Amino acid sequence: MTHAHFLSRRLLFLTLLLSPLAASAGIIVNPDVQGRSISVATLRNIYTLRQTLWPNHQPIVIFVLPDDNPVHVAFAKEKLGLYPYRLRQTWDRMSFSGMASAPIQVKDENEMRERVRATPGAIGYTSKDTVYDGIKTLRLE
Amino acid sequence: MTASRLSGWNSLLLGGLLAASPVWGDELAGPRYHVQGFVAQGLIGTTNNRFFGDSRDGASTAFTEAGLHGTWQALDAVRLSGQVLYRHAGESDRAGLRLDYAQADWQFYQTEVSQLGLKFGKVKLPYGLYNETRDVPFTRPGILLPQSVYVDASRDLLLAAPGVFLHGASVQRYGAVDFMLGWVRPNFNSESVEYVFLGRARPGKLEGTGAVGARLRWDLPTETTLMLTYADATAEYTPASADSLAAGKVNFRNVLATVQQRLDTLTLTAEYGEPRGNPTGFGAALPDNARTAQAFYLQGEWRFRPAWELMLRHELFYRDKNDKNGMQFQAASGLPAHTMFARDLALGLRWDTTPNLMLRAEFHHVDGTAWLPGPDNPVFLSREQRWNMWLLQAAYRF
Repeated sequence: MTHAHFLSRRLLFLTLLLSPLAASAGIIVNPDVQGRSISVATLRNIYTLRQTLWPNHQPIVIFVLPDDNPVHVAFAKEKLGLYPYRLRQTWDRMSFSGMASAPIQVKDENEMRERVRATPGAIGYTSKDTVYDGIKTLRLE
Repeated sequence: MTASRLSGWNSLLLGGLLAASPVWGDELAGPRYHVQGFVAQGLIGTTNNRFFGDSRDGASTAFTEAGLHGTWQALDAVRLSGQVLYRHAGESDRAGLRLDYAQADWQFYQTEVSQLGLKFGKVKLPYGLYNETRDVPFTRPGILLPQSVYVDASRDLLLAAPGVFLHGASVQRYGAVDFMLGWVRPNFNSESVEYVFLGRARPGKLEGTGAVGARLRWDLPTETTLMLTYADATAEYTPASADSLAAGKVNFRNVLATVQQRLDTLTLTAEYGEPRGNPTGFGAALPDNARTAQAFYLQGEWRFRPAWELMLRHELFYRDKNDKNGMQFQAASGLPAHTMFARDLALGLRWDTTPNLMLRAEFHHVDGTAWLPGPDNPVFLSREQRWNMWLLQAAYRF
């Protein structure tokens, strides 16, 4: 890690401490996704559209909440170490140029859970590390 | 390109895009499609020269952009995508509705972290950081792209063209690398492009015969992006019946280097290019004259609030790097020296009012007229060296 990167992580961390919106988001996947945990690097590669397949070569289907949703803001900053606007820049660049599909946006956490439950290869997040029927929660390492 | 010139295949794709609703398909496990779009309206005021319409000492509303973009994941390895664009930019772009691009992408090799693919059709051309999404207002660093590097006057040449690209990407510990390498038949057939290469609109026809393009991008773990773009294009001129030009050839090649560093809420970007135009065989009215231009900008963007961004940019453009102040050109042609250079200082403010609505304001102080759009300023001698420009833009996405 370079100094610049370290510094930016520190700033994000400070922002989060001061933010009342920060919630501990849980990573959820469709039960057919293998494994119990996911690394920060892999999560970031998935959400920046660089990793498109699970280890068993199943296509990854990404779900997100709207850019200004507090759970999305917390997920982006806390789990990915990226500001929501930078994620949006990447998605716009990749999708409008035809190089990738942008993540699928859902309106709230209920829809997020329904879509992740129903979609093979799906990944998403919720505000709490709660266990839900028909959804698998991944440990972030 | 006008709507009437679309081929049957293109019309079919266009129709499909228009018929689709702006949501993801609901068959979750089956084929998926996605449609998104935008509408933007600008307001431009200038002193001394005109930019995108009748902007001098007033306000021009002749800057409108709208796009409808569709993607269909037909198979796990095949994605079809395309965009219909409506654009009006003063006298420089009155074509209205057109098919921006329509491509098929076949990813024939995929692992968890690497992809290799072939895209073909009317494909988006890789050129620097912003070219492939240059008409999507949200993806630009300002209302206008840096005119030095992304010259709107020759945009038709840079946008999209029929051809094929091999592309690959891989993410590793040292960062993410991707490349593109391809061949297209470039589009020289527009009035603005004729201004750039032949001095003004000509009665004959300038048509692209072929071009190779390559781009290498490396995103380092330090939040640094390095990129190198190369393009080499050729066009042939067919004179009209009474034409002062002979059947000549234009060769255009460009090397562009890009550096971007992201530091928390700050983004620093610089791009440097040396485009070289070489018209040959046009006869006495347009002597052979190979010229290497120089284009450079340095830009800072600062997201000082989650929805607010400030942009400051300085850019330089010299149409002949061996005659930066244009004095040799003036002595030889009698035309003003300031048409050979442009130095622009721009300040911009962006407000993402909601995730769907963006408002922008921008101010430019320009010394030189090198990238002034020709069709908006047809009389060389009435162009003035120093001018200011302010712009406002509202953009909505869905």
